[in-house]
Amino acid sequence: MSERQDVTVREEALSERNRQIPTVAPLVDIVENENEILLFADMPGVDKNNISINIDNGRLALSGVREVKPVGAVIWEEFADVEYRRTFSVPQSIDVAKVNAELKEGVLLLHLPKAESAKPRQIEIKVG
Amino acid sequence: MWTRIRDFDRMIQAMDLFNSRLGGVFENYQRPRLSAGTWGVTESGPRTNMYDTGENLEIRVEVPGIKKEDLSVKLQGNYLEIRGTRKAENPEGYTAHRVERGETSFTRSFTLPSEVDAGKVEASLKDGILTLILGKAEPAKPKQIVIS
Repeated sequence: MSERQDVTVREEALSERNRQIPTVAPLVDIVENENEILLFADMPGVDKNNISINIDNGRLALSGVREVKPVGAVIWEEFADVEYRRTFSVPQSIDVAKVNAELKEGVLLLHLPKAESAKPRQIEIKVG
Repeated sequence: MWTRIRDFDRMIQAMDLFNSRLGGVFENYQRPRLSAGTWGVTESGPRTNMYDTGENLEIRVEVPGIKKEDLSVKLQGNYLEIRGTRKAENPEGYTAHRVERGETSFTRSFTLPSEVDAGKVEASLKDGILTLILGKAEPAKPKQIVIS
């Protein structure tokens, strides 16, 4: 009938903490035309293999991990390991299967093509 | 009651998590050069790292979206100057929904902590990071001294 908590079994965390790297939101530009939406995100120093892009249920989650591998002695360090992470809402009109991404000069460019049915259409009037 | 060191450790862990979710604001607070909350190229210039490997000095600069042609690096004695320009890359015929990145130009200069050999400079640009490897001048290199 003891209320004491300190004798209960619990999982032991390693006393050596696994270091959490800071998370920041990358700066983005979003532009749109009739056929697609383009998303540019600044992710300097992120390797292609460390980027994940997930689209699920109308939410686009971007994540990119940068590893700064220091060499020798540090004289100064203004940027370090970081995780770029940001989530966006994706309109229903996007054709998820055709989304593609490219990485150039530390900038991630996402092409989000619109589905055929969502494109603007000119309707012709027939002469009756 | 903290009966064990692990409880304390757990609290630290929670604080670390809190800090990382806030984008490391507390860490930034300790770094005087950074303007708060801005990541990437700003008006005050891009962020840099400098390392000393004994033989070389290595400088890394965050320059996302800047092409090789738009960067210039000048070395004069132990004075180094880096310039760069980023043009807006908004494609024709698109309407903008959100513009955070924008155009920018910057100049950053440093006085290097040791003399370098202007003939031994390598510059490379990968994934938006400019890396400069500057070979130190002979007198500035570390030397092993033999005890007689």
